[in-house]
Amino acid sequence: MKRMISLLKACMTQNMNLFKVANKKQSQTTKKILPILIALMFLFYIWSYANMLMEPLVQVHQEITLLALFAFFSVMLTIIEGIYKSGSLLFNCKDDNLLLSLPIKKSTVLFVRMFKFYVFELLYNSLLLIPAMLVYIRYVSVDITFYIVSIIALLLLPIIPIIISCIIGGAISYFSTKFKYKNIVQILLTTVLLLAIMYMSFNIQGLMANIAESAESIRNIITVVYYPAGEYVNQVTEFNIINLIIYIAIHLVAFAATIFIFSKIYFKINSKVKVVKPISKDKKYTIKTRKPMMALIKKELNRFTTSPVFVINAGFGLVLFIVICLVIFFKFDGIEDILLEQGIDTSIETIKAYMPVILFGLICFASLMSSITSSMISLEGKSFNILKSLPTKPFNIVLAKVLTSILIMIPFIIVGNLILFVKFEFNIIEILMILLASFVLPLVSETIGILINLKYPKMDAESDTEVVKQSMSTMIAVLLGMMLTGLSIFGLVQCVMYGFSTELTLGLGLMVYAIVCAVLLLYLNKNGEKEFKKIDA
Amino acid sequence: MIEIKNVTKKYGENIALNNVSFNVNDGEIFAFIGHNGAGKTTLIKSIVGIHDFDEGDILINGKSIKTNPVQCKKEMAFVPDNPELYENMKAIDFINFICDMYEVDQVTRENNINKYAKMFEIENNLNDTINLFSHGMKQKIALISALAHNPKILIMDEPFVGLDPKAVFDVKEIMNEMIKEGKTIFFSTHILDVAEKLCSRVAIIKKGELIKVGSMDEIKGDKSLEKVFLELEN
Repeated sequence: MKRMISLLKACMTQNMNLFKVANKKQSQTTKKILPILIALMFLFYIWSYANMLMEPLVQVHQEITLLALFAFFSVMLTIIEGIYKSGSLLFNCKDDNLLLSLPIKKSTVLFVRMFKFYVFELLYNSLLLIPAMLVYIRYVSVDITFYIVSIIALLLLPIIPIIISCIIGGAISYFSTKFKYKNIVQILLTTVLLLAIMYMSFNIQGLMANIAESAESIRNIITVVYYPAGEYVNQVTEFNIINLIIYIAIHLVAFAATIFIFSKIYFKINSKVKVVKPISKDKKYTIKTRKPMMALIKKELNRFTTSPVFVINAGFGLVLFIVICLVIFFKFDGIEDILLEQGIDTSIETIKAYMPVILFGLICFASLMSSITSSMISLEGKSFNILKSLPTKPFNIVLAKVLTSILIMIPFIIVGNLILFVKFEFNIIEILMILLASFVLPLVSETIGILINLKYPKMDAESDTEVVKQSMSTMIAVLLGMMLTGLSIFGLVQCVMYGFSTELTLGLGLMVYAIVCAVLLLYLNKNGEKEFKKIDA
Repeated sequence: MIEIKNVTKKYGENIALNNVSFNVNDGEIFAFIGHNGAGKTTLIKSIVGIHDFDEGDILINGKSIKTNPVQCKKEMAFVPDNPELYENMKAIDFINFICDMYEVDQVTRENNINKYAKMFEIENNLNDTINLFSHGMKQKIALISALAHNPKILIMDEPFVGLDPKAVFDVKEIMNEMIKEGKTIFFSTHILDVAEKLCSRVAIIKKGELIKVGSMDEIKGDKSLEKVFLELEN
């Protein structure tokens, strides 16, 4: 037990320091205040959203549905994130050699890794659940049992989803090892699975179109479909100590049983995942010359494509963009009725007329929410020194990272554009402006991403997941992306409400982002080198 | 030629290098020795432009690494002590990448890659990804990448660590060959026998301070380098 605690302490100190950055000149105050500020902004954002959902629920006295919904959201989020995170959080970790050589049980190593995973998910879930609980208290008077039950639920809710995602993630990792190109298989399997889960959760969200009317059915579905969320809701409405003890016991036993059973096969899977198949000795190597910038871009593409968690994380928003375009393509004719149900009285012709603006908004969403560069510096890890010793300007190195991420993003955005160009009649000016936006917006997003990562690099991560999902840089990028997307959509809506034409609205949007882009690139050129040199790998 | 002029490097309150000055002349093999944590790697990383330093300057063939980093780096090659290469890249792609960054023409790179790959007996592994390699093999890839662009100055941090005896012999041969061509080699090492046999000059560093610099005869006289080093350290 003592050894397990020591190991946990060592691993948590090494891995849980989300906000440790390799920029030695950053002040202690910034290091302490910034994480709190980010957390508060997330909490405020979710709190506002929860309030918005609560208002119609109060009218039908179904306040409890809010807790059911948020508990369900947190579960879905943990499963979705956990499936592609578990692959690199559990397998082929950099500390494998160290931990496996220590005189401890293998199940202890697995426990420590799963516990780390649990703590991260607990942090994420808290950002979702605490605001929902606060909103609930705002509208409903509660007694002490609510607080007890809520704290217990907060601690227990991530357990079952991480067990599910570890099993699925482990199965995908194992299955992928049977193929030569296991990374590609892993990416494809995970993407298919995530799309299937998203489709299922969309069905639940479909009920939210008219939340007040469906409140009871939403709650009932969640209660039936997912016991941990349902039991939490039941405990809030009717506290029962026996059921609460059973609730706690089920989670703890499930966690212990998973570690016990999973540890029997975990190390077999882990050693298979580590195996890299050598290429045939007969194959002669090729020596090829490239321009320095092309060589840098090729290197970045190689880094990107060989990291499943990086690919899936970056591709998620972009695939979602295409899915939304396809939904609009196939379901557009029924949109009038859907909007009417929501109380929005508008004709299909009006929506068609503003489709270029809607598409611009969607491009904002896809670009600003998919910051690939925000982890590209951190992913260099110790090999960052190679870049530092190269005979090229640091600006060229960071520019190559920005260009690579744009090269990854643009094809997705163009495909989405083409789907809507085929469906709707855009004029040539609108098409040109949309195409221009498809280049400018990713450029803005990726320049912001690289600037953030230069400022907050994490060069000592144990796995790609730590960088892509659990670093300060990516969190700031997500938050900024959310804020900019919100601001962009707000601006576009204002333009439409003022009666601006689509061309004028697109032109204004494009102009604003072109100016922002120019300023960011100038800033990167002027200060990027300074930040680059400060990074200590 | 490398000119190190009054270089001081601090990590917060810690002084890693304190007013270090010495020259490494053209056509010489120069060894840089000192205990673990004495400041060897810090100085080497400062020379190759990985670290900034707080005071002083470092000139590479007359150009300052502070003001002309790109030109300086083009004249040098660096082999780190622990080669952190791009693990997911094929070895040949990594070497090609480094050559591209140094803008090495096709003929030169073909000649050099083939020559050194054969010498290090690694030509059959160049199509494999680097994460398959042992420390020694990675060191060989780092050496091939460094040598492929015919650098005028070769800087190495503990170059013999992890290499097999044949590779150590080959590296020594390469060093001698480079010196005959008038090139400069500067390296840190803990293996004092190697330094004694190979080097024309040596510098000893202790806790960030340069305590001795000069030709091998000046430094050791009749004693062994090991004995002199231990005396100075005590």
